[in-house]
Amino acid sequence: MSADKFLQIENLLFTVVMLLYFASMILYFAFIAARREKLAAVAEILQGLGFVLHTAALVIRGIGAGRLPLTNQYEFATSFAWGLCLVSLVFVLKYRFQVLGAFAAPVIFLIIGYAAMQSRDVHELMPALRSNWLGFHVSTAIIAYGAFGVSFVLGIIFLMREGMKDQSFLDRHVPSREKLDLIGYRSVSLGLLFLTFTILTGAIWAERAWGSYWSWDPKETWSLITWLIYAIYLHLRLRRGWRGRAAAIFAIVGFIAVLFTYVGVNTFLPGVHSYA
Amino acid sequence: MQFAIGLLLVLTLACSVGSVINQGQTYEYYAAAYGERAAGAIMALQLDDLFHSVWFILLSAFLCLNLILCNLIRLPSLLDLMKREQDPAGSLGSRGSVSLEGVGDPEGFFHAMGFRSIRTGQGEEGPWLFSVRNLAGLWGAWVCHLGILLLILGFGLGQATMEVYTIYGLPGDSAAIGETGAILSIDSFDVDLREDDTVEQYTAGITVRRPSDGKEESAQISVNHPATLFGMKFFQNSTGWAADIHIKKSGEPLQDQVIYAGDYVPVSDMPDLVVYLNAFYPDYVNSPEGGPMTASSSLNNPAYLYSVYYRGQILGMNALLESEELTIDDYTVTFDNPRNYTLIQIKRDRFTLLALAGGLVVMLGLILAFYLQEARMWAVRGKDGTWTVYGACRKGGVLFGERFLEEGKKHGAAEPPQKQEL
Repeated sequence: MSADKFLQIENLLFTVVMLLYFASMILYFAFIAARREKLAAVAEILQGLGFVLHTAALVIRGIGAGRLPLTNQYEFATSFAWGLCLVSLVFVLKYRFQVLGAFAAPVIFLIIGYAAMQSRDVHELMPALRSNWLGFHVSTAIIAYGAFGVSFVLGIIFLMREGMKDQSFLDRHVPSREKLDLIGYRSVSLGLLFLTFTILTGAIWAERAWGSYWSWDPKETWSLITWLIYAIYLHLRLRRGWRGRAAAIFAIVGFIAVLFTYVGVNTFLPGVHSYA
Repeated sequence: MQFAIGLLLVLTLACSVGSVINQGQTYEYYAAAYGERAAGAIMALQLDDLFHSVWFILLSAFLCLNLILCNLIRLPSLLDLMKREQDPAGSLGSRGSVSLEGVGDPEGFFHAMGFRSIRTGQGEEGPWLFSVRNLAGLWGAWVCHLGILLLILGFGLGQATMEVYTIYGLPGDSAAIGETGAILSIDSFDVDLREDDTVEQYTAGITVRRPSDGKEESAQISVNHPATLFGMKFFQNSTGWAADIHIKKSGEPLQDQVIYAGDYVPVSDMPDLVVYLNAFYPDYVNSPEGGPMTASSSLNNPAYLYSVYYRGQILGMNALLESEELTIDDYTVTFDNPRNYTLIQIKRDRFTLLALAGGLVVMLGLILAFYLQEARMWAVRGKDGTWTVYGACRKGGVLFGERFLEEGKKHGAAEPPQKQEL
């Protein structure tokens, strides 16, 4: 099969995936509005199916492009949505927390919507990007961003949880504040670990490609800023009275830094990562 | 702790400012971009080179000091905690954070909770079981701090002692590498193009000679594939165009030499007269806006954008094809033989490995802190022969407690779960 054929299939799959994520989001909204658990179950199945097809789309694009599909804005955005979906599904299953999927769905849809607005053309890679480190560097960033996305969603749920009356519909589907705080901490932990790995692999790669493992490029600097914000989050949690609400707010602020590192830096502060 | 959080906040803010203000520019640039008052403030506060400013280096030094003190202060208490956590006596008297009564198979319960090594003993109230897991997790933050310290030290020492040289040239050129006593020769340079005219790879063949002992080493370097020769690392960093410039005076050859795009050549018998090669276009065409541009990377229609200066004053600027010549009074100038030159960066940083080790230690610390969560379980047998099992986990208490209750039921906890104190 020709490369073009693979890319056509990927295009089709991408559209189907977007529709599935959209349908899942609408059903989750309906679940909250109509208070019917069955709708959430269907939404979860659609999100799961979307994730499977999304994985297939990424693999097919990789085959069509003849390389890892992680090198331009479209590819990173669709991978970012995939990473967020992966981490949220893992957390839903691990912590039996269905409502997390409901709150993650709009974020996933927004990110894949952003991907849909980017050019899907496949270009050959410039020599600096032709490295095995690319796979390690970008795939770890996808998991890190996905985990931070989940911590953002959990932060929002935590703040909403505070305003819920006991025994309300959502109250029965949302864990206790202590558990929410802990799951949020776990997602930040996962994100920070992978972000550290991203920075480390990026530094090793930069040293090989550009002769300098750290040159204060805006992308590097904002990765460090994101790292510092989550490091502050972890330190604050050790202080009395800072768990819960304050940690939730910090998780939300941290994700804004993540989004700026991803989109804002490329738009406003171009550097050597301008292609990313 | 407060000081550390304050430092992290200030560093975050400083990095944000450093990423927003274009670094390494002149006062005039900042005055044009932000106004004169802001430009004055930027220069006074060293925000133009923020990441190398005295105050940013001081902040980093404070962070190092804080990390050292934090780790030194915590070391004795951590060692003490390790001892206490391993000692059953410390746990047996307490009720833990969660407990279950009437467990029939305590050892199976321990195993199901991930506690492998179980110690047994006989107390005043009867036999007991005790186990602790993931003690290494207690060291997570400490190891992480150590890693950050090594990373900053490696980076800082590297920046202070690093030797960096840049040499550019064409195949056949040689140049001394700074004060190292070594000589770099460029043996070859190839630009591999794909069918769509994009670059696949830049590859340079290099030889380094050390006249002091007559030794020489050779290597091929390309982007992403540097080579280490005589302890120095050689990077294929960049490329550009070079060509031959021929200057005649009254029709007689006066000067033939190489000129690089972005460089100038003074006329040998009149150094005040300078020819500057602004840019080279291998496949010259006029852009829709009327300016010069290249249609491809192939040498289909080479053109040279030049400027001529006399005593610093520009006399003219234009694009010259190979078939054309530039006349300045008695002088005629022509260009030909365009080819790519290579720019090679040479670096010696003795502390890169220290920084890398620091990064790996940070990773290890984070894994210990996040994924090896220290927990204890102990059980005491009652007079009725059943066991009361207790559990405690420093982090993740709620989740540990949930799992404890779940597994406890599977292992014969007869009593309903007690109210937890998490």
